[in-house]
Amino acid sequence: MAKVKYSGVRESKPGRINDFGSTGEQIAEKFKKGCLKRADRSFAQGLQCQQINSMAALMSLEDSVFISHSPQGCVGCSVMAVDMYRVGQIHRGAKQVKNARLFVTNIDQKSVVFGGESKLRETVKLAIDRYHPKLAFVYASCASGIIGDDIDAILNDMQSDYPETILVPIHCEGFKSKVCASGFDAAFLAINKYILKHQKVEKEKGLLNLFAPTTVSYADQKEMERMLQALGAKVNYIPFYSSLEKIKKIPAAEASTSICKVFADEFMQTLWEDYQIPFSHTVMPIGIRNTDQWYRGIAKVLGKEAEVEEIIKKEHARIEPLVAKLKERLQGKRVFVCGGTGRSFAAAALIDDFGMKLVGLETPTYDEDAQIDIEYLNEIHKDYVVDIANMQPFEQVNLLNKIKPDAFIGVPVWAAKLGIPTTHVLDGKRPTMGYDGLLYLGNKIADQLENPGFNKKIAKHVKLPYRESWYQEDAFKYITSNE
Amino acid sequence: MSQIMENPKGGCVLAGINAVLGAIDRICPVYHSGPGCCMQTTAADQGQSGHKSSCFVSGVSIPSSNMLEKEVVFGGTEKLRTTIQGAIEVIDADAYFVLTGCTAGIIGDDIVRVTDEFVKKGHPVYPIETPGFAGDSNLGYEIVWNTLIDQVIEKDVPKDPKLVNIFGIVPYHDPFWSGTLEEIDRILSQLGLKVNTFFTKHQTIEDIKKCSGAALNIIVNPWLFHGPAKKFEEKFGVPSIRIPGLFVGATDTTKFVRSVADALQLDQKLVEAVIEKEEDYVYQYLGQAIGVVSWKKFAIVADANTAVGYTRYLANDYSFTPVLVIISEPIFRQEDKERIIKEIQDLEYAKPPKVLFLADQYEINQAIREEEDVTLLVGSSNEREVALEKEIQFLLGAFPVNERLIFNRTYAGYKGSLTFTEDLYDNL
Repeated sequence: MAKVKYSGVRESKPGRINDFGSTGEQIAEKFKKGCLKRADRSFAQGLQCQQINSMAALMSLEDSVFISHSPQGCVGCSVMAVDMYRVGQIHRGAKQVKNARLFVTNIDQKSVVFGGESKLRETVKLAIDRYHPKLAFVYASCASGIIGDDIDAILNDMQSDYPETILVPIHCEGFKSKVCASGFDAAFLAINKYILKHQKVEKEKGLLNLFAPTTVSYADQKEMERMLQALGAKVNYIPFYSSLEKIKKIPAAEASTSICKVFADEFMQTLWEDYQIPFSHTVMPIGIRNTDQWYRGIAKVLGKEAEVEEIIKKEHARIEPLVAKLKERLQGKRVFVCGGTGRSFAAAALIDDFGMKLVGLETPTYDEDAQIDIEYLNEIHKDYVVDIANMQPFEQVNLLNKIKPDAFIGVPVWAAKLGIPTTHVLDGKRPTMGYDGLLYLGNKIADQLENPGFNKKIAKHVKLPYRESWYQEDAFKYITSNE
Repeated sequence: MSQIMENPKGGCVLAGINAVLGAIDRICPVYHSGPGCCMQTTAADQGQSGHKSSCFVSGVSIPSSNMLEKEVVFGGTEKLRTTIQGAIEVIDADAYFVLTGCTAGIIGDDIVRVTDEFVKKGHPVYPIETPGFAGDSNLGYEIVWNTLIDQVIEKDVPKDPKLVNIFGIVPYHDPFWSGTLEEIDRILSQLGLKVNTFFTKHQTIEDIKKCSGAALNIIVNPWLFHGPAKKFEEKFGVPSIRIPGLFVGATDTTKFVRSVADALQLDQKLVEAVIEKEEDYVYQYLGQAIGVVSWKKFAIVADANTAVGYTRYLANDYSFTPVLVIISEPIFRQEDKERIIKEIQDLEYAKPPKVLFLADQYEINQAIREEEDVTLLVGSSNEREVALEKEIQFLLGAFPVNERLIFNRTYAGYKGSLTFTEDLYDNL
């Protein structure tokens, strides 16, 4: 029987759910028994769509144009990726900071009635005539998907007119998935299908694919590269600030790993199946335990187990006294963590380095991978709330108001208005990861905890938009069974 | 008809609607749309407006039906119903506006039928049936006001001869909107007027409901708000005057004050006293830094309102040399274009600059590259690239603004012109 090909939609994997409210212990037990069922929310706040992730993932590629086959609003979030790209260029020493070559076909009423094919063709031609790019990515949208524009066929037809440019359609229609990380998969599926095309290339000794999303700062890139070079690897940093040439080198690598748990995890599996490239998929390298685990994971694939232990020993000797000092400042503090799949679990593990106590965890999806993390957390922490939610600030503030943690790690906007000291672990412009990132992060958390004046004062003046009665309700009131 | 664009400035009509509603205190938008529209539209306008976004609900705080495949195929009105119900239960808003994304628009969900159910139960829920693909952010501003005129603003409100409404300054799509409205408010208040800015000083939907009692609508914009102004006058009998561009500096701000004073026949003595005091304030400062900011030949890339204001101040009041002005928002009516060109080219002493209407980034960059003489460019974050390339002075002064934080800063009015001049200082 032919193997079913992965569609790029994260929900298509069995056992993966997006809506649930529980505790660490209960959710682990339910998952083990197979009792976790897909659910929904009868009331919800906005989500991040997968198109946002597909666009952000590739926005810093050289010699590329990015075409959104959509109305103008669908390039809204790409502006954040463009900002990261501009700042990233400055961090990397560029004086001539460039814009991303981003186009929108601007689907309008006429396109909705008659189809958007002519606008797409015109845009592709315009973009290629202007920039003669090596790559032209075309992103589908809810609108293009529903009106039924066949972007694959259109681009396939146009490809022969533009032999110097590879046309890459990406199927990231927002309505296809509730999990924004699906957008990463959509981008990688397209890269494999249209650029790599299952072609075998000569292996390059020591070459390692390091997959990194746009939210990884240059400081973090350097730290990761430093660590991997210490194992003798040559790093192919993909796709952030990379190029067609570097993408084409992917199959030449001896191994792959990723910085983020939900970035290229499916793609690394594909690379194993299609090009026999072994990979390590562990955790996000934030905090000592996770950094060790991430490091050991890739060292094992590279056959450098002995070497990595040596390095880890040295790193620990260097880091541990400094971490001990941070621990004195943070010991016993109760923390609520909210973040994307990779960062939320990584931050939850991180706080143990500082002797802090986990009281709440908000993360977008739950699956087999999450179960491994939760089982680990359950060994350290008792009685913490788990909210499987993609943001949903109304649930978050309800929980925070009841739990009253000493510190909040995640998007600070709402917790700050409750007067809780806040720190973010998603900082695409400053360090977070590896052994050095840990110290930066620890100092940031400790400093904010010791000096919480801003949040305490703003909470007195700025009110969250929720009714007083909402804070008395069950935070998971609107989570409904779907089956 | 929307045009193909490279590096578009701002979002779809939904983004514009959301930005305007987000600027009104205690108003909650409810999206009947795909899962990313809340984030995308907030990022497109509020997110590019100097890092300030609605304090009440914005981005992922906005209630949304998050339409997935199931809703696309079977319709999403049931999901919308529970979303509105939840929004009312959870969010303490004065009113809820239900907006439609492309998905709801294309599949044709009847949102009015759903909002009617809530209206019948006495909830302040208003539908706005304009899917994202219907236009751009600017249209969103007019759509919101048309909706408010049709559904919210009350008739037969007693007239207040001192009350005026300000239109044309678009929240977030103009990054300096709050500072500008505060400056307008400050100036007009000195004339004894009560000013509805609608988006500052915690004005609420109650102020909007009663704004038909105003004596005058003041539109500060060379082209926006044409349709709503007409509708407003027909329905509520409030006349309007159009100030054909933002006023920056003493000359144009005084002209603005006189226009308002004429329309309302205000006490001449008071008006002249205010003008004298304000102009003196500006010139007392300008007099302290003569020759400090070096002479420049300038180009402006901005929306029409801002471009008019900057060009006229720099040319008429500051004796810089205008070379090129690019209006970077799509404008379709010829009469609007002519009005804008007239404002920009009808200068006191300076030779008129070239005026182009270009919304596409590549075309904007090409036009600037061709002007060898330019030494100062005032534009948006998107124009920084070409300014770096030309190695000329660049001031980030127009939407989109990604690399500065803007709270109450403005370049408009008397006081704003001093801030503008301060920011032009470069020490090079």
